[in-house]
Amino acid sequence: MTAGSVLPAACAVAAAALFPLVVRDPYFVHAAIMVLLFAYLATSWNILGGLAGQHSFGHSAFFGIGAYVSTILFIYYHVPPLVGMAVGGVVASVISIGIGYPCFKLKGPYFALATLAFTEIFRIVVTSTEQIGGIDLKGAAGILIPLQPGKSLLNFQFSGKTSYYYLILVMLLAILFVYRWMERSRWGLYLAAIRDNEDAARSIGISATRYKMIALAVSAFFGATAGTFYAQLLLYIEPALFSSAFSIEILLIAVVGGAGTLLGPFLGALILTPISELTRTYLGGGYAGVQLIIYGAVLVAVMMFAPQGLIVPLKRGWRLLAERRP
Amino acid sequence: MRGKVACIVSVCCMVLLLGFGTAFAQQEIKIGVLIPLSGSMAVIGENLQMAHDFAAKEINDAGGVKSLKGAKIKLIYADTRGDPKVGMSEAERLIVREGVSAIMGAFQSSVSYTSTEVAEKYQVPYLVPNSLMDQITERGFKYTFRVERKGSYWAKDQIDFILDMGKKTGVQAKTIGVVYENTDMGQSIAKAIRKLAPEHGLKVVLDEGYPPKTADMTPVVLKMKRANPDVVILNSYISDAILLMRTIADQRVNTMALLGSSSGYSDPSFVKEVGKLAEYFFDLTEWTTDLKHSPLVAQKNAAFKKWTKDHRDFNGGAAFCYASTYILYDALEKAASTDPKRIRDALATVKITKGPAMIIPWTPIEFDAEGQARGARMLVIQYRDGQRKSVWPANIASTAPVWPMPKWEERK
Amino acid sequence: MTGIIEAAVNGILMGGLYGLIAVSLSLIFGVAKIVNFAHGALLMVALFTVYWILELLKVDPYLSALLAGCFLFFFGYYFQRLFIEPILKREKDTAALTVILLTSGLMLIIENSALLLFGADYRTVRTAYTGKVWEVAGLYIMQPRLIGFVLSVVLIRLLEFYLRRTNFGRAIRATSQDREAARLMGIDDYRVYKVTFGIGTVILGFAAAFLTPFYFIHPAVGDLFVGKSFVIVVLGGLGSITGAFLGGLIVGLIESVGAQFINSAMVESLIFIVFIACLVIRPMGLLGKERE
Repeated sequence: MTAGSVLPAACAVAAAALFPLVVRDPYFVHAAIMVLLFAYLATSWNILGGLAGQHSFGHSAFFGIGAYVSTILFIYYHVPPLVGMAVGGVVASVISIGIGYPCFKLKGPYFALATLAFTEIFRIVVTSTEQIGGIDLKGAAGILIPLQPGKSLLNFQFSGKTSYYYLILVMLLAILFVYRWMERSRWGLYLAAIRDNEDAARSIGISATRYKMIALAVSAFFGATAGTFYAQLLLYIEPALFSSAFSIEILLIAVVGGAGTLLGPFLGALILTPISELTRTYLGGGYAGVQLIIYGAVLVAVMMFAPQGLIVPLKRGWRLLAERRP
Repeated sequence: MRGKVACIVSVCCMVLLLGFGTAFAQQEIKIGVLIPLSGSMAVIGENLQMAHDFAAKEINDAGGVKSLKGAKIKLIYADTRGDPKVGMSEAERLIVREGVSAIMGAFQSSVSYTSTEVAEKYQVPYLVPNSLMDQITERGFKYTFRVERKGSYWAKDQIDFILDMGKKTGVQAKTIGVVYENTDMGQSIAKAIRKLAPEHGLKVVLDEGYPPKTADMTPVVLKMKRANPDVVILNSYISDAILLMRTIADQRVNTMALLGSSSGYSDPSFVKEVGKLAEYFFDLTEWTTDLKHSPLVAQKNAAFKKWTKDHRDFNGGAAFCYASTYILYDALEKAASTDPKRIRDALATVKITKGPAMIIPWTPIEFDAEGQARGARMLVIQYRDGQRKSVWPANIASTAPVWPMPKWEERK
Repeated sequence: MTGIIEAAVNGILMGGLYGLIAVSLSLIFGVAKIVNFAHGALLMVALFTVYWILELLKVDPYLSALLAGCFLFFFGYYFQRLFIEPILKREKDTAALTVILLTSGLMLIIENSALLLFGADYRTVRTAYTGKVWEVAGLYIMQPRLIGFVLSVVLIRLLEFYLRRTNFGRAIRATSQDREAARLMGIDDYRVYKVTFGIGTVILGFAAAFLTPFYFIHPAVGDLFVGKSFVIVVLGGLGSITGAFLGGLIVGLIESVGAQFINSAMVESLIFIVFIACLVIRPMGLLGKERE
């Protein structure tokens, strides 16, 4: 980080840390948690989508795997969710390699459609499976996670929303550091080479499939941890977590903010998540569907006028502002 | 349109109120209503919304809640989109932001299942008019009350009906098929039938779940034709109900009876769209317009028909939403407070024997320790000349059932 | 056994319609390389167009397709002109993802506007063909499905004829094969895209007219067909008209015959599995050409 960007970054972190102390309304804290969670999730997508340029339409598969693995371990084997989170991440990474093997043979829209098909298969199978080897998956009904008497970090259950807020804030900072670190490492350079021109990268001896696979596994790991967090926050999971619509929502956030940039996904979450929450709040009752029209219109506008993501014009504006200062 | 008009009217009212100061300000009791208002369930949600609105209008016109100095009931709708996640966050919003005293909703079982948990956490009473998943009232919750019968009892009623018809007419069903949309509601009924049918000597020869958003129902219907069950129990939302019914007729699948499980089959658009094909179709439901137990049924339905713009009848879901609004009103009168905890205590001890809530055919309306309505029972209707005629149980039915259904080839 | 034959016949008839819807997608996908996520919404627009023509003019449903086609051509043409063309002009090669997201946004706008305009009611049209059945050797064949299937085959032959034998048709094929080369030959590639999009939408109008006698119309009806259409397009081969039609038949068969053996809820995943297998084993599709 350059000296110039340390100060604003520190300010932003401090502001984020103070937020729940100033705003005590649990509704707003909940909304803020959702923003941070989506920022985290979109950043985990960005590791594959941004760094390696592989626009996956199946990221919700990993999210769902994380949610289901940690929940099942918790309910049936009494494994604390914090441990289940790590296990879910590893399971997702392993499965991601199975998905990556066929999908990385494909490019562009074909890759997009294949990953989308994978997550739909997960959704259908989980929806139709009531039981698997004595474990009750509950099919379409979903699983409700019982409240635990002891509030602790290990059990991932807290009395107030604020603890969830700080937890996801720390997780988000961590993944941003991982992203930055990967981007600057040798891996990141290889991935950038693959993203910009895969054939050229191969010709200078970079094993494209291997590096894409690593990016996918890391992306899947973090995606799954978000799933565990979500499960423990809402205490309810359902097969729709695997849906392609949810995958597209994640991808939208990253792309609207700016794929392949450090703060793009965060910016996307900051804009899109409140839009969908607020429009539903103020328009949901009387004007059914209007909230989705607004969401669609924002999407169309961004794609038509700032396809590189909103971070690009924002940065330009920031630079202009900085130059004008004496 | 109603929304728009209501919006304009309420804006005008607000302007007026601001103009006159607070002198005329009247106490309001905010009640949250969670229903699907967008997406593929929107048509169902709109129908329920009208029923809630109608009840609230009647209550307010009659002077509001008297024990609270005539305070008016204000319904605040929240769109769940039929999504359990959205249901949860909307429930939280209704409670925390809007400060509602109680909640009603949320039609789909999965949404009720999750949103009641939020209400339990915040200790706000939640009255469920229409969801049938057993577990909703089996979690030891103190703040959840359900007017509807449990899903596993639905299956029991359906089997009872089939056996009863066999005894009465001598045409007994031996095999049974269950066809359902692969959602929580469908799975929950199918599971119960799978378990109950063999215990009563009925063999399940077809057990078919189909995915939501199925474009073509013919494969399912052909499978039904091959399995050839005596009775088919169906569970669908609207679009699939329309497609299934048309395809069954096209393929001339003849059975003793087709028995629906409300939902899509009780929706007004079902009979409107399939027309004559719906004739003789049986449907297990909570309610019909021709019930004989009380004159209120005919009166209130006529009033609702007059009030709605497209002059529609109550269907089961809507009737329960209407009655639930009155049950809540009764609790409010008793509690004489807008405090959620006191309303909860009042709900737990209601014992309603008169008033518009009695369009529901069981007396008294009261809740057991789990919050499940005691004595809740179901009835069966048969479509006759495009009308839903109650045919079972005999003591409240208006019409004699035609069992078995006539073959497709013999119909005009 | 008759059950399986019946299922196969139904699979082929329904598959023909899936095929026709996919042909439209394939044409747009193949020529302009646009992954159109709003395809389902366009089908819905086509269905409502046919619906209103039938309600207001009371013509034969199959005739209504011609009237609907006139409107839908311009709808498709300007859809491409106003939204997608600016992006293609700006981004040249990397537009795939942008266009996917743009069309998802448009899908949300179109579907929910329809919900506001027409309400959430399910509508059906009772035509002279509705509910008519032919009995052939113990099999029940639904008239509107058979007519729809036959007309789909005719329409696809006509389309192929147009693409092979007319000048503009050749221009479309040339652009599809090599855009740069076609441009050097003096073909206005953006005009080709717009017309292709228009033709694709007209085909949806026909599909809508074939569906209407036995189907329902609702703002979200497109969702039922769109996922399948993508599977079919990839299965049949990018931009291949016959391939897409064949893919439609295969998906129809899997869906109909497969359901006789396993639970229909799982058949959906079977289609996706076939899709991924096809992508990996034969990425150019059944009839597609080798791509770079």
